[in-house]
Amino acid sequence: MVSKRFVVKRLLLLVPVLFGVASLVFAILHLAPGDPAKVIVGQRASTAQVQQVRTELGLNDPIWIQYVRFLGDAVVFDFGNSYQIARGTPVREVLVERLPVTIELALYGQVLGILFGIPLGILSAVKQDSITDHLTRVGALAGISVPIFWSGPLLILLFATSLGWLPTSGRIGTAFFLPDTWTLLGTELPLTGMVTVDTLLLGNWEAFVSAVQHLFLPAVVIGIYSMALLSRMMRSSMLEVVRQDYMRTARAKGQGAKITVLKHGLRNALIPVITVIGIQFGTLLGGAVLTETIFGIGGIGTMLVAAIGATDYPLVQGTVLTFALLFTLVNLGVDITYSYLDPRIQQ
Amino acid sequence: MADTDTSRRTFLKAAGSTAAVASIAGCLGGDGGGEGDDSNGSGDGNGSTDGGGGGGGGGGQSGGTLVYSRGDHPTNYDPQQTTSGEVAKVTNQIFNQLIQFVPGGGGELEAGLATEYSLEGTTATLTLREGATFHNGEEFTAADFEATYRRFVDEDYEYYLGTENASGYGPFTLGSWIDSVNVQDDYNLELELTQEYAPFLRNLAMFAASVLSRAQIESLGADPASQVELGQEPVGTGPFTFEQMDNSNQRVQLVRNEEYWGETASVDQVIFNTIPENSTRAQSVVNGDSHIIDGIGAQASQQIQNADSATLAEKDGINVGYMAFNMARFEAFRDAKVRQAISYAINTQAIVEQIYEGFASQADQPIPPNVLGYNEELDPYPQDKEQAQSLLEEAGQTDFSFELATFSNPRGYNPSPVNTAQQVKSDLADVGLEVSINQFSTFSSYLDYTDQGKHDACFLGWYTDNADPDNFFYALLHPQVDRSAIPEDQDWVGFDTEGYNTLNVSAWANSEYMDLVEQGQATYDEGQRRSLYQDAAQIAHDQAPWVFIDYAKTLRGVNQAVAQDSYTVSSVGGPYLNTVQLNQ
Repeated sequence: MVSKRFVVKRLLLLVPVLFGVASLVFAILHLAPGDPAKVIVGQRASTAQVQQVRTELGLNDPIWIQYVRFLGDAVVFDFGNSYQIARGTPVREVLVERLPVTIELALYGQVLGILFGIPLGILSAVKQDSITDHLTRVGALAGISVPIFWSGPLLILLFATSLGWLPTSGRIGTAFFLPDTWTLLGTELPLTGMVTVDTLLLGNWEAFVSAVQHLFLPAVVIGIYSMALLSRMMRSSMLEVVRQDYMRTARAKGQGAKITVLKHGLRNALIPVITVIGIQFGTLLGGAVLTETIFGIGGIGTMLVAAIGATDYPLVQGTVLTFALLFTLVNLGVDITYSYLDPRIQQ
Repeated sequence: MADTDTSRRTFLKAAGSTAAVASIAGCLGGDGGGEGDDSNGSGDGNGSTDGGGGGGGGGGQSGGTLVYSRGDHPTNYDPQQTTSGEVAKVTNQIFNQLIQFVPGGGGELEAGLATEYSLEGTTATLTLREGATFHNGEEFTAADFEATYRRFVDEDYEYYLGTENASGYGPFTLGSWIDSVNVQDDYNLELELTQEYAPFLRNLAMFAASVLSRAQIESLGADPASQVELGQEPVGTGPFTFEQMDNSNQRVQLVRNEEYWGETASVDQVIFNTIPENSTRAQSVVNGDSHIIDGIGAQASQQIQNADSATLAEKDGINVGYMAFNMARFEAFRDAKVRQAISYAINTQAIVEQIYEGFASQADQPIPPNVLGYNEELDPYPQDKEQAQSLLEEAGQTDFSFELATFSNPRGYNPSPVNTAQQVKSDLADVGLEVSINQFSTFSSYLDYTDQGKHDACFLGWYTDNADPDNFFYALLHPQVDRSAIPEDQDWVGFDTEGYNTLNVSAWANSEYMDLVEQGQATYDEGQRRSLYQDAAQIAHDQAPWVFIDYAKTLRGVNQAVAQDSYTVSSVGGPYLNTVQLNQ
C-alpha cells in the first residue's frame, strides 16, 4: 500500500511549487509592457479614461498590494473576471468551459501514442537490430524531432487540402450545435465539454462521426511525438528486461517466447514507461497549445495566446496556475503509481 | 503483504492491457448512436456548401446556412463594451443604428431606425421608425435610444455600464458631443450637442451607437457587473437574432429575424466560424466549408485567386498606413526638411507593390481618395535619393540615427510590418541615416509605448470609424490641447501636455492645420468643408508629419455558392449578410 504519509508529504510539496509559479507569472506579467486598461477602452479613449479604468481595476495600487491581493484570491482559486478576452466572465467559468477541450485533445494524443508506441517499442526490442528495429528507431527519432508547427500544416495539406478526406479545422461540423445538458433516466445532467463524449451521450451519431473526423488530425499530430518517445522508452526498457535471469529461467522452463515477453517482460518493462506517460501528459498539454492554434480548436491554448496578447492579467494568471496545478497533480499521480508498483520508491 | 502483491499484479495487468482497453473504447463509439435523440440543437440545414449552382446565373434562392469564417472569436457581443471590429461583424447583424451606412457603399448614409434626420446648429432632430420591434418583442421607441445612450456614458444612470466596462467609443462617439437627449414623444427625438459638430450624424451610424433594448437593459439589473452580461445575449432590432454562442467550438449562431422591419434576410441562419490560420481559412472558402471569409493575407489571396470555386472580392478601404515622426522626442524631426527628406528617401511604391503585393495603393495625404476633402492634386512623394540628400544637407542633419518602432503581426493597413521596417532601414541607409528597428510582439504593448511617446518614429495606421474626414484629420494629427499650451513658433507639443491626444503619435501641432480642421469640424456646408480639408491635406502633405505609406484594400474570399452580386464588400459598416443569397 501507498503510505498516507508519503501522499501528504507530496501534497504539501505542491504548496511551494504553486506559490513559485504564481509569483513568477505575476512578476512576468507585471514586468512585461502593455496596459490592460488601454486594451479594454481601446485606441480611441482619452488618457483620463484610461486612468479611470486603471483605478477601477486596482492597477494604480502599489505593486505589492496587487500581489498580496492576487495571492489571496489564488488560494481560493478565484482570479476575478477576464479583462478582455472573455469580458466580464469569471476566469473560473472560462476555464471550466475551455479546459475539457484541451484535455480531450491531449488524451487522444496520449491514447494514440500508447496504442502505437508501446507495441512498436516491444517489437523493436524483441527484434533487435533487425530491419523492423531500424525502421522503428528512425521513425521514432523523426517523430521526436518533427515540430508540431511543421507536421500540423503538412498533414492538413495532405489529408484535408489535397485528398479532401478530413476537415481542415475546428472540432465538429458547422451544422452541429450541441445543447448544454443531456438526459439520463429523466434527470438532466451537464455535458462534459469533450465533444466526442458529449455526442455519444446525446446519442447523436452523425455529430460523433464529425467530431472524430475533426479530432483525428490534431490527435495524430500530438500523438506522433508521444508515440516516438514511448516506443524509444519501451524499447530500451524492454531490452534491459529481456536480459534478466528470470526471463532466461522462464524460457528454460519451456515457456514460449511470445508468452515470456508479454507476461514477464512487458509487465516489468512497463514500470518506467508509465512514469514517462505521466510526465508526458504535461508536455502534451503544452503541445495542445500549438496544435489548437494550427487546427483552430478553441481550447485553453488558443485562449492563452489571445489573453497574453491582450494583457488579460486575470485570465493569463488563472490559466497558467491551472496548468501548473494539473501538471503537478498528474505527476503526483505518477509518483503514487510508481511507488505502488515499486514500494522501494517510498523509502 | 500477500494482498499487496496480488493487487499490484492486478494493477500491472491492467496497465499492460491499456492499449487493448483504449482500442475497445475506440470501437465502443459505434454503439452509441442511432437512437435519434433530437436534443441536438439544430443538426439539419447543412447549407449545401458545395456550391453546385455554379458562378453564373446569380439567381440565388432563399434559405440555407451561411458560414462566415474569420480569425478570432470574441465572447462578448455588446457594442458598448468593445472597439473591436471583430465584434462589430456580429453585432451589425443583430442591431440597427438610427442612421446607417449604405450596404456595399463607401460611407454614404441612409435611414436606419430613424426615417428622417437633420442636423442644424447644435440640434439633431430625428423622426423614428414606427413598427420596428426588438427580438424580445418590445416595440422600438425613443426611450430605447435614451437608455442606450445613458447606459454608455451617463454615470448617474441607474443602469450605467461602468467606467471599467464601457469602451473608449462612449465619449469618442457620443458622450463628448451630446449635451442632452430630449425625448419629445415615442417617435420624435432631439439631441442637443455641446458644439457644432459636422461628423455627428455619421457617429450615429457607427456600430458603437447600436440601439439596445431598454427592456433588456433594465431587466439585467442596476449594477455594472450585471450589465456586462448583455454581451452574452444581445437583443437588437436587426435582421438576425442571436441564437447561441458556442465558445468551445468558437462559433456564433444567428437565425433570421422574421419580424425584421426591413427586407427579411434571405438565408435561414448565419454561422460565424473561427479559423485562426489564414491559409486554412482560405482553403475552407475554396472547398466550400465557408461561404465568405475575411482576414486575407497575400498568400491566402493567391490561394483564392488560383481556385475556380471561389473569388476574391475587393473594395478600396477607408484607411491609412503611415510612419510617424515623433517631433516631441527626436529633435532632428522638428525640421520639416528632414521629414520631407525621409519621405523622399523611402520607396513607398516598392512597399505597396512588392511587400503588400498590390493589395494597397500609395498614400499621399492623411485621408484616402473615397473620403470627403481628398485633395486630388497631391501625389505620393516619389523616391528621390538625391533630393533627400540635398534636403538633409540644407537642414544640416546628416548622419544621424533613430529608432523605428514597429508591431510584428500583420494589420490590415500594414500586412507585413517587419519587412516594411527593413525596407525603410535599407532605403535610409542609402542616404546615410541609420535606423534601428524596435519590434514589439503584442499590439497592446506597442500602443502602450507609442501612446507615451517613447518612440523616435513608429508605424501605425487607422481604419475609419465613420468615414468622415474629421475621423482622420482631427483624430490622428490634431493634439487636442489648449492652444495656450503650445509655444508660439513651435509646431509640436509634448505628450505630457494636459489633455493631449495620444493618437497623434507625431506630436505635430501646426496651428494653420489645426485652424482648418477645427473649422471643418463645425462647418455643415459640404462644399465648404471639402475645401477646408483639401487645404489641410495640402499642409499635411508638405509638412510631412508622417511618411504616408498606403491605403489598403478590403478583401474578402467568396465561395461560388454565394449568388453573384448578392454580397458586396463595404468600406465601412457591415458585413451586410441579410442581402446574401445562396445557390441551392
